[in-house]
Amino acid sequence: MRRTLVWTAIAGALAATPAAAQKTTLTVGMQSQDAGVLDPHINSGTPGKAFLQWMFNGLVRIKPGELSPDFIEPDLAESWTSSPDGKEWTFKLRQGVQCHHDYGEFTAEDAVYSLKRASTKDSSAFSSDYASVDKIEAVDKYTLKITLKEAIPSLLGIVMNYHGGNMVCKKAAEELGKDGFAKKPVGTGPFMFAEYVPQQYAKVVANPKYFRGAPKLKEIVYRFIPSDSSRDLAFQAGEIDMMLGRQEQAWVDRMTAIPGTKVVAMAPAEMSVLHLNMSLPPFNDIRVRQAFAMAIDRNAIWQFRGKGISRPAVSVVPSGYSGTNDQAPLYPYDVAKAKALLAEAGYPNGITVKAIHTTLPGMMSFMEATQALLKKAGITMEIIPVEHPTFHAQIRQDLSQVVHFQAARFPVADVYLTQFFHSRSTVKTPTAVTNFSHCSVADAEIDAARSETDKAKQIALWKTAQEKIVKEVCAVPVNEMLQLWAYKDSLDLGYELKASLNLGPPILETTRFVK
Amino acid sequence: MGAFLLKRLAFSVVTLFAVLTLVFVVVRIVPGDPAQVILGDQADAAAIAAMRARLGIDRPLLDQYGSFLSGALIGEWGVSLVTGRPVIREILDVLPWTLELTLVSMVIGAAIGVPIGVWAAVNRNRMPDYVARLGSLLGLSFPPFVSAIMLLIGFALVLRWFPVISANRSTPWAWFQSIMLPAVNLGLIMAAYITRVTRSAMLEVMQEDYVRTARAKGVPWGAIVWRHALRNALIPIVTIVGLYVGILIGNSVLTEIVFNRPGLGKLIIGALNQRDYPMLQGMMVIYTLIVVLVNVATDLTYALVDPRVKLS
Repeated sequence: MRRTLVWTAIAGALAATPAAAQKTTLTVGMQSQDAGVLDPHINSGTPGKAFLQWMFNGLVRIKPGELSPDFIEPDLAESWTSSPDGKEWTFKLRQGVQCHHDYGEFTAEDAVYSLKRASTKDSSAFSSDYASVDKIEAVDKYTLKITLKEAIPSLLGIVMNYHGGNMVCKKAAEELGKDGFAKKPVGTGPFMFAEYVPQQYAKVVANPKYFRGAPKLKEIVYRFIPSDSSRDLAFQAGEIDMMLGRQEQAWVDRMTAIPGTKVVAMAPAEMSVLHLNMSLPPFNDIRVRQAFAMAIDRNAIWQFRGKGISRPAVSVVPSGYSGTNDQAPLYPYDVAKAKALLAEAGYPNGITVKAIHTTLPGMMSFMEATQALLKKAGITMEIIPVEHPTFHAQIRQDLSQVVHFQAARFPVADVYLTQFFHSRSTVKTPTAVTNFSHCSVADAEIDAARSETDKAKQIALWKTAQEKIVKEVCAVPVNEMLQLWAYKDSLDLGYELKASLNLGPPILETTRFVK
Repeated sequence: MGAFLLKRLAFSVVTLFAVLTLVFVVVRIVPGDPAQVILGDQADAAAIAAMRARLGIDRPLLDQYGSFLSGALIGEWGVSLVTGRPVIREILDVLPWTLELTLVSMVIGAAIGVPIGVWAAVNRNRMPDYVARLGSLLGLSFPPFVSAIMLLIGFALVLRWFPVISANRSTPWAWFQSIMLPAVNLGLIMAAYITRVTRSAMLEVMQEDYVRTARAKGVPWGAIVWRHALRNALIPIVTIVGLYVGILIGNSVLTEIVFNRPGLGKLIIGALNQRDYPMLQGMMVIYTLIVVLVNVATDLTYALVDPRVKLS
């Protein structure tokens, strides 16, 4: 017994040594086995976005911890102005900002290069966001001018530190080439790329020349830990300080019980929407779609998914987005009415519909709960489980009558409306994105809102669009799931974490351990 | 010996070619689009088409197959669609992790399995035999991911003897600490197999005439068991160990994921999820090569432990 104790003590001391020296090293655990291509203009996955945001700035940024574009503030640009018609934007850049790894000062040339790179199909996954951009010019060393073909809902949204708006350093990108740059990304952010070890971790170190001041943390180790249980155990054992959680109420309850742990359910919430394929029977009959909508009890699903980590949907655009219609006339839960509507449409014995669905556990449990609710109204939903990439391929081939899509988007109503409900985005067309329902009822409003420069009128158009889509029942919005993160309460982020568009907590120059 | 090796080599080449073709076909039959996976779900059809062209997966299948085969022949396995790094580099980076885990697991498995198997055989139908048989049954039927989590909770979380993130080669001690739990987890399964094989092989050998003769001549019991009987019983044991190298490498997928170790298993799961064609193809070549090489090595070891086996 005594010997065991001694051995335990020795082993414990040996194991504890590296941890004690970690005060300025933040270790983050991510539910992934890789971060993907380390190029901010290509990478659109959660693990990549969460990591790359620590290295890159935009011309503007959303105040750390917030979600809405209403909180936009200067980043690499000190100030900006736009012409009355919203087609010409001029940005004044900060002077003296240094690129990582001694690639020189960040100037308007770099900003022009970055935006052109982001708008080119070959070098960017987000090129379509820049379709309305006509010209990008450097007026002088610190002035940038963007001219648009037509006004767009949020120009600032495409020049912020998100997706294509991430600013890269021209000299580095040209010198390293596309593939080289993805191995050694160079930006201007508080942390600089240091190391990448496949399947293990990626590391960034403090940028001592960061324009907002040298970061208090010396390095961030971003560990790839795909197994949920192992991530939890590593957190409890003190091997990681911050981690992405499992989207379950039980996880929140368990983690909250661990002393010294802070658990945050942050936006953007991913909204679960059931898209109904209106191009084929039985959903070509609006009464059937209405019955489907009335058979779903949003409150029951909310309780099922966890009250602290989810919320009922309010519209076909998630809550908190610029332009969301909080009063969208969603159909109330009414099983009797649903049955009556089905009978009226010629289906007194109910209907059977097919839903190809991913096997991802969180999405599947939602679908099974919905299936049970629908059954009460006489709607049999056959779930055909397929693996995730197969699901994505098959729903885009129009093979599913009901498509459950769970997603968050840039928080402006236009993005959700355009991608999911504009006829241009209908699946199996050359301009397809994710309009699975073949909805076209609000095209006019969506288009008009895009070029509307009067903010109030623009929002009114978006709200009308949402009303029309809801009434037509192109889709049934059900529930929103928040992103869960846990971290040690000895870590002071330097802001209140309510949201992060890049899906991981921003780590700032002020972030530090206080204990 | 030379003729045998040549024959095996020719056979291996044919096997490899067949596997390559099969993998190429299967990878493309499975639905799912790598371009879609890379670009995410907001990309429009035009962007996806552009990415498909960039990746070369919009070319005719035969064309792709041709360049795949010629590439495979000269060791040019392309770059991973997801990370952009050469496939061969990705594989070689993690291969040693899987090999060392397999090797240490085998050593643990043999160190536990052989003596227990012998012990059980010598004590046939007595308490030690029952205990050994029950133990091996448990070892075979216990789900490895459950034992992995139990090991982590017990030794990493409660006792803090070993780390949860089991990938560290910074010092020999760190290496030892990080490999022990995953190797024990896999080694226990291996031990269960080896115990069973050793027991039955020993039982058979112990009934041979020469054992009886040795006993009659008064050779000490220990010498009969360990020197004479075990030497002959080793043949099936070597075979089973050889066969299980391939299975162990396959089994390592789960162990690598739960213990956060890099390795082939983790790589192949990622490649499958992301429809990373070149990576999947490269991995299959490596897996096939390993299995083929292990089989040849098993045959050679066979000859070494049993002089009666002739390689021709």
